[in-house]
Amino acid sequence: MSALTFTLKNAPAQRIDCSPLTPDALADKSAAEIAALELVIGNSSARVDSLFEISGEDSTNIQIENSTDKLDFVGHNMTSGRISVAGNVGAYLGHFMEGGELEVTGNSGIYTGCEMKDGQIKVNGNTGDFVGGARPGYKNGMTGGTVIITGNSGDRTGDHMRRGMILIEGNAGNYCGTRMVSGTIAVLGSVGSHLGYAMKRGTLLLTQQPTQGISANFNDCGSHTLAFLPLMLASFKKLDSKFASLESFSRVQRYAGDLGGIGMGEILVKL
Amino acid sequence: MIINGVIIDETFAEAFPMKGTRLIITALNAKWAMISAQAFTGFATSVIACGCEAGIEKVLDASETPDGRPGVSILIFAMGGKSLAKQVETRSGQCVLTSPTSALFSGLDNDEKEIPLGQNLRYFGDGFQISKMIDGKRYWRIPVMDGEFLAQEKTGVHNSVGGGNFLVLAESQAQALAACEAAIVEMKKIPNVIMPFPGGVVRSGSKVGSKFKALNASTNDAFCPTLKGQTKSDLSPEVESVMEIVIDGLTKEDIDKAMRVGIQAVCDLGAENGIRRISAGNYGGKLGPFHFHLQEIMA
Repeated sequence: MSALTFTLKNAPAQRIDCSPLTPDALADKSAAEIAALELVIGNSSARVDSLFEISGEDSTNIQIENSTDKLDFVGHNMTSGRISVAGNVGAYLGHFMEGGELEVTGNSGIYTGCEMKDGQIKVNGNTGDFVGGARPGYKNGMTGGTVIITGNSGDRTGDHMRRGMILIEGNAGNYCGTRMVSGTIAVLGSVGSHLGYAMKRGTLLLTQQPTQGISANFNDCGSHTLAFLPLMLASFKKLDSKFASLESFSRVQRYAGDLGGIGMGEILVKL
Repeated sequence: MIINGVIIDETFAEAFPMKGTRLIITALNAKWAMISAQAFTGFATSVIACGCEAGIEKVLDASETPDGRPGVSILIFAMGGKSLAKQVETRSGQCVLTSPTSALFSGLDNDEKEIPLGQNLRYFGDGFQISKMIDGKRYWRIPVMDGEFLAQEKTGVHNSVGGGNFLVLAESQAQALAACEAAIVEMKKIPNVIMPFPGGVVRSGSKVGSKFKALNASTNDAFCPTLKGQTKSDLSPEVESVMEIVIDGLTKEDIDKAMRVGIQAVCDLGAENGIRRISAGNYGGKLGPFHFHLQEIMA
């Protein structure tokens, strides 16, 4: 069976909520039913077939072609299967995701992986702010799964993150790991200012010394050989990412903080 | 059945069900991994008084361990899941957590039945312990004075078999011991089994029961050479020493293989080296449901 493909007909003037277009939601639907689904666009709604050319039938493997940054909530609540997007996507990519794979060839908007529980998101470009974060007013960010960003992430990556892993091959913006409760964020490039601000627990793993230094709210715990690092780096080997080819290391400088709070988080900088 | 002049008795070893798991201990170098593994598997010869039976299964090189350091795999068996969990926890806490540079991993996956490994040891970290989920498995980083102790949260439990055995009947102590040593060398090459007694050999084989009410087991007088004229002996006049090799394994088939290579190694020495018979601990079916028939194994 060929992949169920949605090709955007025209660049929309308003944002489209794509949350109904997931393997789970389309599993038992006929082609006619899928075509007749209503998607919220701006303050109205429109049939799927009025917005997209539809081809293919394998709803476990969905492709969105000709995508733009106006397509929000792609992969919302998905638990299995795969969605691949050619182009950019909008906000809330993989929102509440519980399993399966999401891959985007372009950039994603704000709140990528927001409150996701499991599965894998790969963005072959840059992401907006609040990757893996919690919705405004909520206190639990992502609780599992993996987000891979081949480009740069925006500000406040991992805000309120509780578990899971965010791997950034490029640079991370300001306030990376802010209010983080647990989990791991690894960055191969540079990081912005206010690293780990209000971080409670969790690990920020950096392969480069932060150019803007470590905040005064983090105390230097010295250089150490940590046994878990080779184990974690080995787990990256199966990923389609630069992290897979990262040479194993276990020597790091360890900083503990944010000491303005409980101070159980850590920034590990490769030595 | 006679192999190289050695009589293989028409009898069977009798074994019983146990719960077992495999653990992997790693360290900065092979020496310290072995020290920790030896401490963990110390005083673990028999469930009769030790609470468990444990032994070193294999020395692992760095490419075979989860964290890429030299290591040792050990097997530990107990009569039930709860007693196994208790033994694993106390031994891990006292013998691995304490051992310099060590880390502790599960060597056996079984999602249906698991027991704690680092799950409770983490409290030694006094709140400074850190959890890490890696590939769906939780690990605990516990700060200790030499750095960090890394322990996997849980290990899988396998329905196993304990008490596989055979007896080596020889014309002298030295010849019995040499034959058992040769057997152990070959049996250690078989995966999934341990020989829990000192050096793999036990000289005080037991029978079920005793004339003393407080004891559940007592000396196997039928195979004690000094009692040949005093009890209903199972020994011929020329047999002067009997030693036993006990095997615990993850499956009956693993024990089959270990017994086969062990008995073969003994028989290779043969009658010319004073080996007279191979027999087995047989308690008339009272001890356990697993029966290892010597002649079938060697057929």
